[in-house]
Amino acid sequence: MRNLINFLIKYGTWFIFMFYVLISCVLLFSHNLYQQSVYLTSANIVASSVNSTSSQVTGYFHLRGINESLQESNAMLENEVLNLRHQLAECQTLLSDTLKSNIFLNRFDYIPATVINNSVRHPRNYFSINRGSADGVKVGMGVVDQNGVVGMVNVAGLHTARVISLLNQTQRFSVKLKGTNYIGSLSWKGADPSIAYMEEVPRHAKFHAGDTVVTSGYSTTFPGDIPVGIVMNRIKGSDDNFFILKVRLNSDFRALSTVRVIKDEYKAELDSLQQYDIKSDK
Amino acid sequence: MNKEILKSTFLFILLLLAQVLICNHIAIFNVAVPIIFIYFIIRLPIDVGKGLLFTLAFLMGFCVDMFSDTPGVNSLASTLLAALKRPVYYAYVQRDDKTMTLLPSISTLGVATYCKYLLSMVGIYCLLAFTIEYFNFADVKDIVILSASSCLLTFIMLLAIDCLIINKS
Repeated sequence: MRNLINFLIKYGTWFIFMFYVLISCVLLFSHNLYQQSVYLTSANIVASSVNSTSSQVTGYFHLRGINESLQESNAMLENEVLNLRHQLAECQTLLSDTLKSNIFLNRFDYIPATVINNSVRHPRNYFSINRGSADGVKVGMGVVDQNGVVGMVNVAGLHTARVISLLNQTQRFSVKLKGTNYIGSLSWKGADPSIAYMEEVPRHAKFHAGDTVVTSGYSTTFPGDIPVGIVMNRIKGSDDNFFILKVRLNSDFRALSTVRVIKDEYKAELDSLQQYDIKSDK
Repeated sequence: MNKEILKSTFLFILLLLAQVLICNHIAIFNVAVPIIFIYFIIRLPIDVGKGLLFTLAFLMGFCVDMFSDTPGVNSLASTLLAALKRPVYYAYVQRDDKTMTLLPSISTLGVATYCKYLLSMVGIYCLLAFTIEYFNFADVKDIVILSASSCLLTFIMLLAIDCLIINKS
């Protein structure tokens, strides 16, 4: 017994060391535990309040660039409104519409939010926003900025949420080439925060450099046709039946500021349908 | 003693905030990242108890992890660095040199020895942290580039912090 106590006293500090190493390894490898806990992420109260304070100061730094891209998107939207108004006027001369409102227009709702903490240099990047479950943000919702897709909500605190950035090697997004039905999955390979890769594109798909890559709309996370990036060139993949497209991302992830969280009114319904499928398969 | 504790606490919070609010957002050429919070571990006196040293190092790493959403990466790397602190220190300093104070700094070790000690510690940390974060032998090239450039940048920044502290006192 005395020997045991002596042993513990002699090597006590190394037990402390092993204890800390063990905790670190648990944090490092058990992603599930980590993802379920708001307290360990930057969405917790201390981290989010520090980050909000600092973003109140640094939020002004990128305003010029954001202003420019907002004006661009504003001009584009104005054009589209004019265009649609014109089309509507043309249609109304043809026949009178008896349907009062289009239900599809109300399917998606947007929750505006501000990015309070952001990173682009890790292999698995996340950013935090200042809206949480109290504002209607839920895990799995898509996040876009004025230029296109930026991520998906991963942990929702009460007033803050952590978002898996598109720049995260573990996350894939379902995308397609605009105007076609060629679906692929978009993933980021690290290094350059403005380049991602659209994989699993069927070999017969036709494309040109400069084509727009948009969301496929096959999930409840994003509506279809939200821009993601622009095709740069084709890369030879390991599989001969599919090829990989190099995509330049629209959003500037180094200067994320104002984003919108997408709320799908049909999500619960669609998810319950999928559950039904799984159950009936069994 | 109380003054020392107060000073250390202040340094802890200051370095933590500087790391998560400023340095985490710096990435020169998208590779070189300054990791200045390890200055706290490097500058702790050599005779601080091992248990306390490991605890402080782990806490520091854990806080940085919490802010930058890298669970376990910095906690593990800084705990390992704390364990390597004494062996690295005594690789450059004679163990039986009783006249030497045990606070590692330019004034106590001299420029050359201190630089060697600082560079070794920073190099070890960068290599550990990036290896743990990527944890993939396919990314060896990335890890080496990131570690080397971050090590250099961090080394320069820590020397600058040293100069600031010396001028103040």
